[in-house]
Amino acid sequence: MRLFGFAGFLLASAATPAISQSAPDESAQGDISVTIYNNNQALVQDVRTLNLPRGRSKQQFPDVSAQIRAETVTLSGPAIGIVEQNFDFDLLTPAKLMEKAVGQTVTLIRTNPATGAETRVRAQILAANGGVVMKIGDTIEVLRDDGLPVRVIFDRVPPNLRARPTLSITLESAGGQVPTALSYLTPGLGWKADYVTLFDEAKQTIDVQGWVTLTNNSGTDYRNANVLLVAGSPNNGRGRNSSPQWPTGTIDSAGTESNDRERLGDYYLYPLAERTTVANAQQKQVSFLDVTAAPARKVYEYTNGWLGSSDAASASSVLKFSTSRSGGLGDQLPAGIMRVYMRDRRGDPQFIGESQIEATPMGSSMSIRTGDAFDVKVKTVVEERTRRSASRWRTKMRYEVTNARPEAVTVDLAQSGLWGDVRIEQESQASERLSADKVEWSLNVPANGSVTVTATFDSRY
Amino acid sequence: MIIVSRFVVFWALVLALQAAPLAAQQLVVSDKPEDVSITIYRAPDRGDRPINAGWPQGYALITETRTINLPAGEALVRFEGVSEGLFPESAIITGLPNGVREKNRDARLLSPQGLVDAYLKRAVSITRTDKATGLSRTENVFITAGPDGGVIFESDAGFEALRCTGLPERMTFSEVPTGLSAKPTLSILTTSERPTSAKLTLTYLASGFDWQANYVATVRKSEAGEQTKMDLFAWLTVANGGKQSFDNADMMVIAGEPNREAREDQLRPTGGALQIRCWPMQRTDQVPYRTGYPPPPPPPPPPPAMAMMDAAGGESIIVTAQRRNGEMLAMAAPVAAVVAEQEDLGDLKLYRVPERVTVNAKGQKQVAMIVQPDVRYDRVYVADARDYSGDSAPLSYILRSRNDEKSGLGVPLPAGQVAVFENSPVGPLLAGEGDLPDRAIDNEVEILVGQSSDVRLSVNELRRTKSKSYQRATISNARDHPVDVEMEIPYEIAGRARGVKKIDGVPTWRLTVPAHDEAELDYSIHLR
Repeated sequence: MRLFGFAGFLLASAATPAISQSAPDESAQGDISVTIYNNNQALVQDVRTLNLPRGRSKQQFPDVSAQIRAETVTLSGPAIGIVEQNFDFDLLTPAKLMEKAVGQTVTLIRTNPATGAETRVRAQILAANGGVVMKIGDTIEVLRDDGLPVRVIFDRVPPNLRARPTLSITLESAGGQVPTALSYLTPGLGWKADYVTLFDEAKQTIDVQGWVTLTNNSGTDYRNANVLLVAGSPNNGRGRNSSPQWPTGTIDSAGTESNDRERLGDYYLYPLAERTTVANAQQKQVSFLDVTAAPARKVYEYTNGWLGSSDAASASSVLKFSTSRSGGLGDQLPAGIMRVYMRDRRGDPQFIGESQIEATPMGSSMSIRTGDAFDVKVKTVVEERTRRSASRWRTKMRYEVTNARPEAVTVDLAQSGLWGDVRIEQESQASERLSADKVEWSLNVPANGSVTVTATFDSRY
Repeated sequence: MIIVSRFVVFWALVLALQAAPLAAQQLVVSDKPEDVSITIYRAPDRGDRPINAGWPQGYALITETRTINLPAGEALVRFEGVSEGLFPESAIITGLPNGVREKNRDARLLSPQGLVDAYLKRAVSITRTDKATGLSRTENVFITAGPDGGVIFESDAGFEALRCTGLPERMTFSEVPTGLSAKPTLSILTTSERPTSAKLTLTYLASGFDWQANYVATVRKSEAGEQTKMDLFAWLTVANGGKQSFDNADMMVIAGEPNREAREDQLRPTGGALQIRCWPMQRTDQVPYRTGYPPPPPPPPPPPAMAMMDAAGGESIIVTAQRRNGEMLAMAAPVAAVVAEQEDLGDLKLYRVPERVTVNAKGQKQVAMIVQPDVRYDRVYVADARDYSGDSAPLSYILRSRNDEKSGLGVPLPAGQVAVFENSPVGPLLAGEGDLPDRAIDNEVEILVGQSSDVRLSVNELRRTKSKSYQRATISNARDHPVDVEMEIPYEIAGRARGVKKIDGVPTWRLTVPAHDEAELDYSIHLR
């Protein structure tokens, strides 16, 4: 079929030989749907209409993902039966072409370098080891041993060698135009979310835009595709893996709300509203969330390790907000990076930091660490360490929180590394024991002022 | 601004294209911004290392204003002239009548490989020029395989491999395949009800920028007993490692530590040179020859021109005994006509250059950012007793001040390197280079300058028992004025030691050693 088309093309272009009219942008893909998961995995469903002869035939499927997981291919359609599926990835190259031509006869066209005159001879390829040895008439010679130009023309290309890895399916059919659905899994397609958050410090609100960012590294374009994104990383069959993902620490308390977003089991679905072309080596972004003026507040946090001391360490600036329906973003947040911006004195948005967030249920309260505060610093001093007995130590700590900002701030100052059996003997301000390991003081630091906390710990070490 | 209707370009292909809606898209190219503002952030975790001039590790927020003419219907807007370090996921576009439907960054490059890849199983032309006659012949062929490992095409005669013949062969393609571009390209899809002109703001983060503060501290002359003072001056040093210049731009820098997350590698651009590997090509006279030894080293570089001139009896350098003019050099501290203005941005500090500047590609730029004359400071000699032994060794000295108005400061001090200049008979000379972390107002400021061989310390262990070590510290001062010394003894002191007080939990011997004198301290520490 292809050769026929080629011959037709030659006839058509005989008048204008230099410029061919073939379009480089055609695709054999049909009505294509791509479902992309978070973990670099995608399900491609391609509905192609095949023109099948009656009985058995071998059909090739070009324009499938270059990274196709051939073992996951299924083809279905009315009145077709699968005989076998093949995935051939032996690539056709000049070296392979010559190797497979051993024993066959090729045509040589020699060009006379002085006159340009061409002579044609037939040659039988005997071997292709290091150099190509051939038999011309009754003599044996090595190809291009004289260094002069020689065109080698092969009569045919060997079967089973392909320009691209090729999927072919042998099937039985009653014949005719048959719509078929080809589906397979492929790596090389993935997505994550990117959030643009504009924080208004005076109004204590945030505007959040969510974008899904999908990347195609699979080596193939998916033209005019129906794209569905699944917020989830399905198990990929490498044994039972029940240990949870390492948390990012951005969820203070996990939410318990739900909305009417489509689901697939426990995963949320984000369909793209319109068909789109996902090109190879492309990163594409589509909006999925747009919330304005959700309440948010900023706090400062600092956690000191056991026996940690520093001259002036910056406290972290943390942005707190909720994803609940009332007073929050009112949606689930797929995993991604949240970038926070703030307007400068002229009103232009400036970047103030970013944080990775994990997939977050609706109704969660979140805290995003945007960076270190320039003006809020914590000085921690180990004032005294005395040995009370063979197994107990007394440690006197002093924490000095300074605030160079023109307004009062709240700093959550924590001391960690308490191992459960460390007692606080004395402290200058009441603390809250958050866990066996951690104790926290909530400090109000006045504008351009400082607050000092002292505490005495009784510990085993 | 160029508007090219895809419809017109591909009129011949409309029927062939399956993706009919694509044909209705119109391409709008925005080739350069009209106005640009650039905010530069420091490389996270660079510490006191210098800026990597080749590819600065920081980043920048770039805001561009562009005007485009949108046609009615769906349009593909392509942005050209954006910074090469653009993080596409951070791009924000505002000012469109109906917003952005999708944003794309395409990295399929127009290259020999990309062309063959796009024309696989399609027709191209091969032109062979006869070297003897100069005549060229063009043939229409069909690419059978490529571009991996070479190109095989089908001609009337049969199958051939490109450029395995020894003949000059050239491929000709009819058009540039859509989707291949000269550089990775950012584009958006948007719609408009009617033709309109839109003023867009394109904001994105880009890598390849960095900045730091470079302080010059010039110590003032002072008489004995007088409060010591210095002039503190800081340059805002900005580096752009990219190929893109920013002309007449608003420039800002941000001090502080915004959080940055590790980001996944950007999609690598596809395409490149055609790599043609032909069949085995050895001739009968070519014996494989491998010595197994590395190649000989390259010859040494030629001697520099200067030395050559000298050897030829030309110019030479003579060291004269002439004194440099100290008075003239005493004015070496720069006078700033333009100083960056500081404002607060949340918990960060923003410095804005008040005039428009041009940030050159592959360039570094400096603008004054802090000018604080008459900063009061104390010169303190510091030591940690653990670092010293019975042999006397020099003490380090620091310049210590407090970042408040009383001391002549009271401005945020962003991290950077400090070059300290001290007076000498020939004017101010470099005394040492230290570095300064971010310092907020009211923080203590300490700059480590260097060591003094005139002020020395020895720590002798006099006696040791099972539980205690008896030590003697001796500080000698050979200078002609008294010096302040702080020696930390980071142990548990047994009993009391005269003059030793705990400063921030560490026992510290704080004293003033008179001119041309010595001081001694006996103390004992608990061993465990």
